[in-house]
Amino acid sequence: MASWAVRKLEDRLFVVAVVLGSALALAPLAHALAVTLYNGLSTMARAGLGFFVNPPPTPYSASLGGVAPALVGSLLLLALALPPSAFLGLLLAVFTNEFPGSRAAALVEVGARAFTSVPTVILSMVAYSLLVVPTRSYSALAGAFALTAASLPYSYTAFSSALRMVPEMYREAAYSIGMSRWTTVWRVLVPIARRGIASGVLMTLTRILGETAALLFAVGALRYVVPLNPLGPVDALPLLIFDYALSPYKLFHEVAWGAAALLLIISLALFALSKVVVKGVRL
Amino acid sequence: MKYAVEIEKLNVYINGFHALKDVDLRVPQGSIFAVMGPSGSGKTTLLKVINRLIDLVPGARVEGSVRVLGVDALRADPYELRKKVGMMFQIPNPFPHMTVYENVAVSAKLNGAVGSRRELDQVVKWALETAMLWEEVKHRLDRYPSELSGGQRQRLCLARALAMRPELLLLDEPTANIDPVNARKLEEAIASLKGELTIIMVTHLPRQALRVADYVAIIYDGKIVEYGSSQEVFVRPSHTVTQLFLKGEV
Repeated sequence: MASWAVRKLEDRLFVVAVVLGSALALAPLAHALAVTLYNGLSTMARAGLGFFVNPPPTPYSASLGGVAPALVGSLLLLALALPPSAFLGLLLAVFTNEFPGSRAAALVEVGARAFTSVPTVILSMVAYSLLVVPTRSYSALAGAFALTAASLPYSYTAFSSALRMVPEMYREAAYSIGMSRWTTVWRVLVPIARRGIASGVLMTLTRILGETAALLFAVGALRYVVPLNPLGPVDALPLLIFDYALSPYKLFHEVAWGAAALLLIISLALFALSKVVVKGVRL
Repeated sequence: MKYAVEIEKLNVYINGFHALKDVDLRVPQGSIFAVMGPSGSGKTTLLKVINRLIDLVPGARVEGSVRVLGVDALRADPYELRKKVGMMFQIPNPFPHMTVYENVAVSAKLNGAVGSRRELDQVVKWALETAMLWEEVKHRLDRYPSELSGGQRQRLCLARALAMRPELLLLDEPTANIDPVNARKLEEAIASLKGELTIIMVTHLPRQALRVADYVAIIYDGKIVEYGSSQEVFVRPSHTVTQLFLKGEV
């Protein structure tokens, strides 16, 4: 048997190895975040409030301009895609949690896994053929359709694991006082899983905000006008970042950094907000 | 004599395992009836058949006749049946997202036991008093169960079960996971209910059964090997398994 000193040394070495390994794994992410925030915040600082209310610049503009149309477009897409994605995801998660052995539940599980691996650009093409071609117009609605389809497997998976984490004894307790199956779901299981569900909503939200390929054939690019019509074309922050980052103009690169930082800040702020607003349940 | 529960030829299979074998049992109305036996003998399964929580057990099949409060329990609407049959579990399971008050009020409201808010307050107070918890939580009704001790949580579960004004109360080893002081309070609360409703209590403790129960059934390997008044069973056990169980040898 190893002596106390040897075991203590092994313990220390293990802790050091874990910390170093974690640091190595997180370093690229931290670097990406730091670079994005540094460059993006520099752009925002130079553009001032105009960054949030002005349209983007042309290649040889004197000023930096802003990202207002893309920002409003992203929020419009979020408003249109998040409720159906979260609602359907929750319904499906409740269904598979309630009828775990059923064939329909197995089908949903397989479907969710399969859908996760479908390239989102394909969903964009589906939205194009189902909504853009018949209406003869790119639209926020078509984009929201593609985004809902792209994010649904993620919302479903997150909600499903949140519900599975609720110990079975609470279901028994609810049934024992005469609650019906559905009262049990909505008054006991979902509220107990609310922290996990809130995280699921947030994951869905960030997925929707950050998705690019699903929008390529669906929304058009209303780059210089703030979009207000869900049936008309819109722009979105990820599309703007994608286009501007690939352009040859330095000014566009700066706007792309700013937009990327803005997207990051929105996601982090919503994450923090959800942690504050949705209190976890202590079991 | 009137019976709250009448069971005949009850057989329960769980994924092919024969959990209860030809169980015949009659529980007199208004009595406290203890079910005793070694772990895995089928005590909890028996309780779950009575309030149909067995429906939640995957792969469970139930055969025989089970009449609960005059109703054919195996054919009745389980949700309606459970409104008359309260249950308390081995591990305290108050709803963690509800306050102390809400935990008790929810069952009273669900079962239509109250009309006004004042009436609800009275039922909550009565249930907490009967569960011997009122004095400890009367200034903490808006707190969550996670702030209570294990024993207080278990008594909160008793209050929740009582607030629905059940005619039959099932207790599955209610004192198994709590300290002696809380166990004594809980036992006193249970004893105080004698005559008001029928109680079926699973317990491992012969002394507890002797103190509280009017009748005792000994269950072993899915079969009822002996049952009768607690004095009879404890003083003159007729079955070898009962004798061994009381000596702590099975």
